[in-house]
Amino acid sequence: MQNILLQVKTDSFVAETVSNTDSTTFSIWLWVALIELAIIVFLLFKLKKEGNDLKFGNLSKDKIRNAKKSDVDMDNLMNSINGSKDLYKELSRTCHPDRFINSDKQKLAEEIFQDISKHKRDFKKLTELKERAITELNINFK
Amino acid sequence: MQPKKNELNRIKENMWYQIMEVTEWFGEMAERYRLVKDFNRAAKTSFIAGIAPTLLEAKITKGDSSYKHAFSKWLGGGFRIKALSGQSLEKSELIEIGRVVLDNEELTRKMISLGWDTLEVHSNQGYNGAKWALKDYANIGGFLN
Repeated sequence: MQNILLQVKTDSFVAETVSNTDSTTFSIWLWVALIELAIIVFLLFKLKKEGNDLKFGNLSKDKIRNAKKSDVDMDNLMNSINGSKDLYKELSRTCHPDRFINSDKQKLAEEIFQDISKHKRDFKKLTELKERAITELNINFK
Repeated sequence: MQPKKNELNRIKENMWYQIMEVTEWFGEMAERYRLVKDFNRAAKTSFIAGIAPTLLEAKITKGDSSYKHAFSKWLGGGFRIKALSGQSLEKSELIEIGRVVLDNEELTRKMISLGWDTLEVHSNQGYNGAKWALKDYANIGGFLN
């Protein structure tokens, strides 16, 4: 009888010890999770703040939507990479306003020359300006 | 009853906004890859036609973190143009290619809005290359118009 009572006492002591360990472990993991959450919130806040401080941070997404959907002429880009330099040189030489001093086309030549300088790396625009130079300034390109 | 209905409407609107955001993200990614694909197609066509002496190829890279702006994509902010074959490019030619891209205001603005922040132009030999921060070449007024 005494043995049975002793056994019951020992069992209840072990159970108490186990339940105590469980609650301590739970408490530690709870704190770890809370600290992690705090770190994540802080990092997200910092990221958002940095995003606002960066260039274009004041622009809303609606305002740049049009820029996203614009069509870029890639063939013209390739032509510009390969041919705009030579075409610009040719046009700036032949359409220079100094070649039209004291003539009625001087003003027109100045206007065309300004456009040539403005679009010096745009092959399409330079080709249009070349056509204009042929028809309006009567220049013969070889 | 009325406040509860308003609250429900607000939640619905918020959910709709989140769905739109996700859809937009996928659309943006598709547009990025379309731009790179268009560039590569045009480069290939002009090389085959004999207009371009060097075959160029564009690809997405990590970019330079010091060039980032508000729309930069994480680990995808670099737009690299690389010479693949044909005549090798001099430093001045690399710079000229970069300048042609940057002078194209429409393309620069599109690249910024799609999350690119760095333009890199690399030669086909060695580690020769040049890079630019796109934010320095965008006309901010253009965005607002």
